[in-house]
Amino acid sequence: MQTASTLFEIAVLGPLFACMVAGLFGRMMGDGPAKALTTSIMVIAALCGSGALFTAMHIGGMPVVVQLADWIRAGSFHAAWTLRLDTLSLSMVAMVTAVSALVHIYSIGYMGHETTPTYRFFSYLSLFTFAMLMLVTSNDLIQLFFGWEGVGLASYLLIGYWYDRPSACAAAIKAFVVNRVADLFFMVGIALLFVEFGSVTYDNIFALVPAHGDDTYTLLGTHRIYETICLLLFIGAMGKSAQLFLHTWLPDAMEGPTPVSALIHAATMVTAGVFLMARMSPLVEFAPDTKAFILFIGATTCFFAATVGLVQPDIKRTIAYSTCSQLGYMFMAVGAGAYQASMFHLTTHAFFKALLFLGAGSVIHAVHDEQNMFRMGGLWKKIPLTYGAMWLGSLALAGIFPFAGYWSKDAILEATWMAHSGLGFYGWTLGCITAFITALYSWRLIFLVFHGAPRDAHLHEGAHESPVWMTLPLVLLGVGAVLAGLLLAPYYVGEGQAAFWSGAIVNAPGNTVIATLEQTPELIALVPTFAGVLGILVAYLCYVASPTIPASFATSLRPIYLFLLNKWYFDELYDHLFVRPYRALANLLWKGADEGVIEGIPHGLARMTAGTAAQAVRTQTGSIAIYAFTMLIGLVVLVSTLLVFH
Amino acid sequence: MNWTLALPEIVLALCGLAILVFGVVQKKGQPFLACSMLTIGAFVLTAFLVVMSPDGIGYNHIFVNDSFARFMKILSLAGGALATMLTVGYARELKVERFEFPVLLLFSTLGTMMMASSGNLMTLFIGLELSSLAIYILCAFARDDVRGAEAGLKYFVLGSLASGLLLYGSALVYGFAGTMEYGAIQTALSATSAVPMGLMIGIVFMLAGLTFKLSAVPFHMWTPDVYQGAPTPVTAFMAGAPKIAAFALLLRVMAGPFGHVAPQWQILVEAIAIVSMVFGSLAAIPQTDIKRLMAYSSIGHMGYALMGLSAGTEEGMRGTLVYLTTYLLMNVGAFAVIIAMRRKGRAVTGIADLAGLGRTDPGLATAMAIFMFSMAGAPPLAGFFGKLMVFYAAINAHLFGLAAVGVVSSVIGAYYYVRIIKVMFFDEATAPLDRRPLSLSFVSVGMGVATVGFLVVLGPVSTAAQAAAQALFR
Amino acid sequence: MTGGLGSIGIGPYLTVSAILLVLGVFGIFLNRKNVIIILMSIELILLSANLNFVAFSSALGDLSGQVFTLFVLTIAAAESAIGLAIVTVYFRNRGSIEVEDITMMKG
Repeated sequence: MQTASTLFEIAVLGPLFACMVAGLFGRMMGDGPAKALTTSIMVIAALCGSGALFTAMHIGGMPVVVQLADWIRAGSFHAAWTLRLDTLSLSMVAMVTAVSALVHIYSIGYMGHETTPTYRFFSYLSLFTFAMLMLVTSNDLIQLFFGWEGVGLASYLLIGYWYDRPSACAAAIKAFVVNRVADLFFMVGIALLFVEFGSVTYDNIFALVPAHGDDTYTLLGTHRIYETICLLLFIGAMGKSAQLFLHTWLPDAMEGPTPVSALIHAATMVTAGVFLMARMSPLVEFAPDTKAFILFIGATTCFFAATVGLVQPDIKRTIAYSTCSQLGYMFMAVGAGAYQASMFHLTTHAFFKALLFLGAGSVIHAVHDEQNMFRMGGLWKKIPLTYGAMWLGSLALAGIFPFAGYWSKDAILEATWMAHSGLGFYGWTLGCITAFITALYSWRLIFLVFHGAPRDAHLHEGAHESPVWMTLPLVLLGVGAVLAGLLLAPYYVGEGQAAFWSGAIVNAPGNTVIATLEQTPELIALVPTFAGVLGILVAYLCYVASPTIPASFATSLRPIYLFLLNKWYFDELYDHLFVRPYRALANLLWKGADEGVIEGIPHGLARMTAGTAAQAVRTQTGSIAIYAFTMLIGLVVLVSTLLVFH
Repeated sequence: MNWTLALPEIVLALCGLAILVFGVVQKKGQPFLACSMLTIGAFVLTAFLVVMSPDGIGYNHIFVNDSFARFMKILSLAGGALATMLTVGYARELKVERFEFPVLLLFSTLGTMMMASSGNLMTLFIGLELSSLAIYILCAFARDDVRGAEAGLKYFVLGSLASGLLLYGSALVYGFAGTMEYGAIQTALSATSAVPMGLMIGIVFMLAGLTFKLSAVPFHMWTPDVYQGAPTPVTAFMAGAPKIAAFALLLRVMAGPFGHVAPQWQILVEAIAIVSMVFGSLAAIPQTDIKRLMAYSSIGHMGYALMGLSAGTEEGMRGTLVYLTTYLLMNVGAFAVIIAMRRKGRAVTGIADLAGLGRTDPGLATAMAIFMFSMAGAPPLAGFFGKLMVFYAAINAHLFGLAAVGVVSSVIGAYYYVRIIKVMFFDEATAPLDRRPLSLSFVSVGMGVATVGFLVVLGPVSTAAQAAAQALFR
Repeated sequence: MTGGLGSIGIGPYLTVSAILLVLGVFGIFLNRKNVIIILMSIELILLSANLNFVAFSSALGDLSGQVFTLFVLTIAAAESAIGLAIVTVYFRNRGSIEVEDITMMKG
């Protein structure tokens, strides 16, 4: 296990070193050395991460906990800097470092035309990677929360990287604030965990879980405390993973550079919520009501995001909503009790979504930063490699055999079916409809961008393929998108899953979903594939064969079209419900309380003093008579005071 | 021996007479400078004699010498010497260049020494009158200055009124206590349980007369006009030695003979202290003339010093004594700077005339800033320690209301001190001041160093004050 | 404590001196015309105190009161001299001895 631990440590701590050096000395070093340093360290980390995973799987003996340093010791509250080696963390580390390395390489090309120095960008990327790694390798909830907040910070920094754009700054703040709201619930959940179990370390908690199943918590009625805790943790996950109601930040986050979208908002940060649920599976398994809620939210998000993505004109937003939708799938699996399936989909999704985003970035790069798909067209001859990459990614996303998405998405839908519950069927139905819509908008994208007559001749003229820095990651990710599902299925959800996970993910005794996946009826198992192919055909019809169909749909069903285009009016709703009242309150506190009272008091006192002073001075009239008279009065007063008090 | 006890006073009186004769017999011109130097020498000599003088009661109980008397005499002599030094530089411009000036200062100081050593109502009055009469003349010394004359007249009228009230009060005390001597009065008062009302009224009259000299409210109204009108070196003297001597009298009389009836007069002193502090800090705010400002400032300071007295404890007396020491240092220094404020041969006394001094004369401005901060009570300067000790004594005596008022008026008062600093350093510079004579620089630098370095001598001063306070209560 | 005062006692003496005191004090601030009146009033105050001293001295049979009185008389004389000198200086500069005019400095 020693080699595995060492490789693991290098993989996790390397990015931190890279971030510090590039960040602090980047200006002195210059862009070139900064880029070279961060990227090479990232590649080394990726290699070490994968190496650690393979070594650990061969040797076994997990979980192993490596303590790096002590952190908090306050009475019975302990938190430490630790690296936990178990399958969950090893697989996440391998995936995160790999995708991050590819994004680093890609960014060398994508950010090559910037006028300002870019060492900051690479430093932030490494910072993000380090925070994410801290999150997944934690052995207690506090280090996890540290990573949680760290990725939120890195996300803010990277979304607002081009800080001279007001829209980017607004988007960064929106992302941070929405996540903050969710984190509040998360923190309360952690606190409740500590109160209930007396510890925040995973092993301690999980050891105690079976015993306290009936403990209750009284607030707004009496509930089982497990339900409360898991609900709070899930709300935190909702924010980080952009589930319904807390999703509004994800589309706006596309203001950041495309590599950022690929790394953070597709492969890694947004999956932290799913990871949390999987990590806490020993606890979540004992909270059935919460699982139902998770399933419901996951399914609804999945459907909602797909419908909105269908009508977006911006290429990156389409893919963003796609991410939101796929995350819904992952939570559906969690709700059904098939954490293994959700982790599987997480991994495959990382590959093909990153591929799609980087491909989109390549397109944007080719047409000189134009992002509106309705201005592109007919690009497939100009940028064939990108075209191929987008095809591979879309096929994986749509879940067509034998590409990566087929294995994981089908596993999820089979799991919801085999859960045999009302909500399970709800999830299955929405999941299949969404599969159809997913294929529809994916090929809508491909046909609008690459096929048909070019809508803007000027852009079409100047389009050219991207440099090798950008195409190499596309190729590597393409390989992953094709093969990942096929190769990983047996380990993640197949026969070898129990041995693979070896206790990292726990299924309750009554939860047989994963085990019975293979028993899904044949017809049911084929529905998603069928829906996907149908979607491709309809897209061909609408966007290649007779391109007027979408327009006529839009005009005849205008209200629905507008509803979808405006993202179901969530932003406007939140603006009315939260933002405006908050602004009014802030204004009141500013003008009324701060300026009026808190500043008014010293001003008022000063004016009063000056006024009294002016009065006091008027007694000095200069006349001896008055002075003598005052002395006499003073004497009389003194004498009478004496007589009175005697 | 009686005369060894009073040796310092006798020597000083003889010196004064000798210098007077010396000045008269000089043929050529005005021997002002010579007489001033001789006066300073006499002060220094007397100071040595005071330090070496033994404890005791002499001349049939009318003269007392103890550590309290020594402490106050040293302060008075310091005040007198410094005032004389301040006169030397600009005497001709101020039109006081006559040899009688330092002689009058000498006699006034002699009077203050007598006040500090009084053991009897007679010496109290005589010392007081000697000191006051000399000052009346000094105020009006510049014969062609109408303001000086008005100041002298006002001071004379109101001062005589106060002396008359004091005398009337002494008469009542004498009548109802049966004796003029402090010790005997103390015995008489502690013997009876029911103090005669006449005696109490007498005490109030005496208090009124004494607080007049202190310029505490409501007997303060002469202070701004007289300070403004008198020649500035005289103001510097008035703000120092006579106040200290009046305090010496007040402390000795209140702690000694009237100590037994303290609960009755304590509330009066408290009331006077409160009103003085508040009025002193408020009325100074709209002032534009710096000498008037210093007058109101000293009214406030006397309020703080009275806090120590109203505590009625040994600790309170000690606090008052330390406060008076720091007060003397700061005030003399500030007045040294004010005397230096001349432009094109004419004295300028507006606060606005200090504008830009930080640029034109950084040394002087720094000294003034030190004095202003010290008066506001900023640590680690001298003024802070004085305030600290009186506040401490007041709180220990459970006079929380008094302390609270003190704090508030301190805050309000800080405004005008800091305003001067602001005017000096942050306002646009006007024309620079005239080159000042060496004596003024010497005094301002010396007092600045003393103010800043007071922390170093705080220990010895505090010990001496403690001994003095103990002597009072014996 | 009648002592050498005879049958009338000390009361009348104290009353008279109190009246003199009040007259003197009122004289200072009630007159507006003439500074010399003020000087006279001051003398009156000192005299009232003197009267008190003599009366008490007689009542107590203690000579120190009368000794003090002599001192006070001397001092009062010196005071008058000084006062008149100051008034002269003032008049020479100002040209008037009306009490209302002595208000050059105020505020």
